[in-house]
Amino acid sequence: MNPLIFTTILMTVLLGTMIVMMSSHWLMIWIGFEMNLLAIIPILMKKYNPRTMEASTKYFLTQATASMLLMMAIIINLMHSGQWTIMKVFNPTASIIMTSALAMKLGLTPFHFWVPEVTQGISLTSGLILLTWQKLAPMSILYQISPSINLNILLTMAVLSILVGGWGGLNQTQLRKIMAYSSIAHMGWMTAVLAYNPTLTMLNMLIYIMMTLTMFMLFIHSSSTTTLSLSHTWNKTPLTTTLILITLLSMGGLPPLSGFMPKWMIIQELTKNSSIILPTLMAIMALLNLYFYMRLTYSTSLTMFPSTNNMKMKWQFETKRITLLPPLIVMSSLLLPLTPMLSILD
Amino acid sequence: MLKIIIPTIMLMPLTWLSKKNMIWINTTTYSLLISLISLSLLNQPSNNSLNFSLMFFSDPLSAPLLVLTTWLLPLMLMASQHHLSKEPLIRKKLYITMLTMLQTFLIMTFTATELISFYILFEATLVPTLIIITRWGNQTERLNAGLYFLFYTLMGSLPLLIALISIQNLTGSLNFLLIQYWNQALPDSWSNIFLWLACMMAFMVKMPLYGLHLWLPKAHVEAPIAGSMVLAAILLKLGGYGMLRITTMLNPQTSFMAYPFLMLSLWGMIMTSSICLRQTDLKSLIAYSSVSHMALVIVAVLIQTPWSYMGATALMIAHGLTSSMLFCLANSNYERTHSRTMILARGLQTLLPLMAAWWLLASLTNLALPPSINLIGELFVVMSSFSWSNITIILMGANITITALYSLYMLITTQRGKYTHHINSIKPSFTRENALMALHMTPLLLLSLNPKIILGFTY
Repeated sequence: MNPLIFTTILMTVLLGTMIVMMSSHWLMIWIGFEMNLLAIIPILMKKYNPRTMEASTKYFLTQATASMLLMMAIIINLMHSGQWTIMKVFNPTASIIMTSALAMKLGLTPFHFWVPEVTQGISLTSGLILLTWQKLAPMSILYQISPSINLNILLTMAVLSILVGGWGGLNQTQLRKIMAYSSIAHMGWMTAVLAYNPTLTMLNMLIYIMMTLTMFMLFIHSSSTTTLSLSHTWNKTPLTTTLILITLLSMGGLPPLSGFMPKWMIIQELTKNSSIILPTLMAIMALLNLYFYMRLTYSTSLTMFPSTNNMKMKWQFETKRITLLPPLIVMSSLLLPLTPMLSILD
Repeated sequence: MLKIIIPTIMLMPLTWLSKKNMIWINTTTYSLLISLISLSLLNQPSNNSLNFSLMFFSDPLSAPLLVLTTWLLPLMLMASQHHLSKEPLIRKKLYITMLTMLQTFLIMTFTATELISFYILFEATLVPTLIIITRWGNQTERLNAGLYFLFYTLMGSLPLLIALISIQNLTGSLNFLLIQYWNQALPDSWSNIFLWLACMMAFMVKMPLYGLHLWLPKAHVEAPIAGSMVLAAILLKLGGYGMLRITTMLNPQTSFMAYPFLMLSLWGMIMTSSICLRQTDLKSLIAYSSVSHMALVIVAVLIQTPWSYMGATALMIAHGLTSSMLFCLANSNYERTHSRTMILARGLQTLLPLMAAWWLLASLTNLALPPSINLIGELFVVMSSFSWSNITIILMGANITITALYSLYMLITTQRGKYTHHINSIKPSFTRENALMALHMTPLLLLSLNPKIILGFTY
């Protein structure tokens, strides 16, 4: 793609999300979502083949439906409150419709069906943008309307997302689908705590974005999209196998890595609010996620070839440049001792 | 406490910056020095704890375990030298780094004051152990073993996290120093029963309790020697230590909640001892004997009398040293014949007489011969369980008999009789191996002179 045009389109995506996050007028939010959606379609279709066309079409249809539902909720809110400022939603119907619309945008169960298929159909970099940047805008709206969300719907969606994200990822070997199901599960964790303490949603989002960014960077670096090709990384750069191990364990939420921090904080917040069965269920379902991450680490780093890499070298083109990988790795694994600094997120 | 933790963390740069011919020497020497520092903690002046800071403390229960942990690192390094000799340098350094990381987490676990910090470090010990088992184990089954180990422990410990947070909610603080003064009886309700279960299940899986012990034979057998040593000697004791700490907060539910676990442990110790009599795999035999000894510790902790706590602590230290020594002996067999089958290498006394002496001593301490500390531990547990209920003497007596049976079976099969003809070309014992056995045995024998230091906080 022509670099100038590509930059313009990318800037439009950024601008769309920024407009959503910084507006106080409901109409501007809707405009921001639409700008974001229209601009990201060409990015999803960077390679022009029927797979990406299908994925982009699916993405467009679901997101457009969600935007329409959002518009409907905005209008109902306008009817019942008479103003366009963003604060809590004034009518339970509008609140339910808006929550469903934002759930569709995020990929929460029961609206999660598009996430694996769209993520699988597009290239790794586009998948990266889809699973990290695109989650920011809907999550910021959820944060702002969090006092008025129907708790039943929210928690049901959250728990079901964690279940679906766990069980759905078990049968996958394609890395992009695995990351998609992991995204569904993490979104579930984020929405579960939304009604109790939205700051923790933001913390989880931050740490999730860092870890997903790291994982995708590592996948892009070894140009691998299946478990099989990931298992050949020992031949290309043996160090990345260790990095993949650490990041995957962090995503699974094992202490002492930083992926444990959001889970711990969320469980703490939920328990302090006297809901005990819910965090127990969520924590045990997260073990399903850990299982397929462990499977990935088994094939990649823990069953290495017995000698050093002098024996065979895989043919590869010039080394891809990976932006900011060392800081990302450090942040996605070593941040746990910094947990007391959570207060800056308030 | 930092005087132990910081040198242990610095062992990692030491390994990465050492020259090729110095890595083993450097790490073994410095870890021995660190273990000498930790010996100073054994001087516990009163029944109260020695508080080093708000975050670390040591008390008559955790000090012997801490000394055991630091003593074991040089031994693990000495034991791993042979099987790592063919690996490239970076892999050796990675292995030592894993062991050192595990050591750091273990030291911090045993001295943590805040229970959530204890939990995080307890979980953190899983990651290096998993990597050691899965990456450096020798058979294909090690993948399965790693998964079983990780998921059994995590399933048990996630409810523990939630239970700890809800206790913090109720009582305001989880700092162990405060809880000893703040302790109130737990009211009787269904949710407190689940709280009791959530607190204890993590440690039951770790100990392991008889019904949840499936991970242990797998993990112990598939792990390399350092992994087996640290698993048997320390990681099982994490469960015992955790139980001893947390039962102080869980009265009075323990009086009736403990019955199912007591029954499982009493029956389980007989069952696992009996299975030992029918094992063909040497490491599997030692693994099942670990389950059997730990079942005694579970019985002791759940009875909650002063004598039983003394017995539990003594038994934990004694079993740590004995079991680790037995794994080292089994490994010396494995390195020569590359097979763990017991009957393949028989009659070793004729070929390796000094090693046979170590085999004899290890088997004798395993069957709790007086006056070793194994006997003190087992005797205290048997006596306190007899006072709890007279009938347990039958089961305990049966267990002691069967333990003697399988220990002698192991000894006689490997050492006595005519040697198998295909092993007459094995290498003689290395000095390193003899030093390893001596370093295991000397604390065991010396502690029988003054067992007061390992009898824990109810002495």
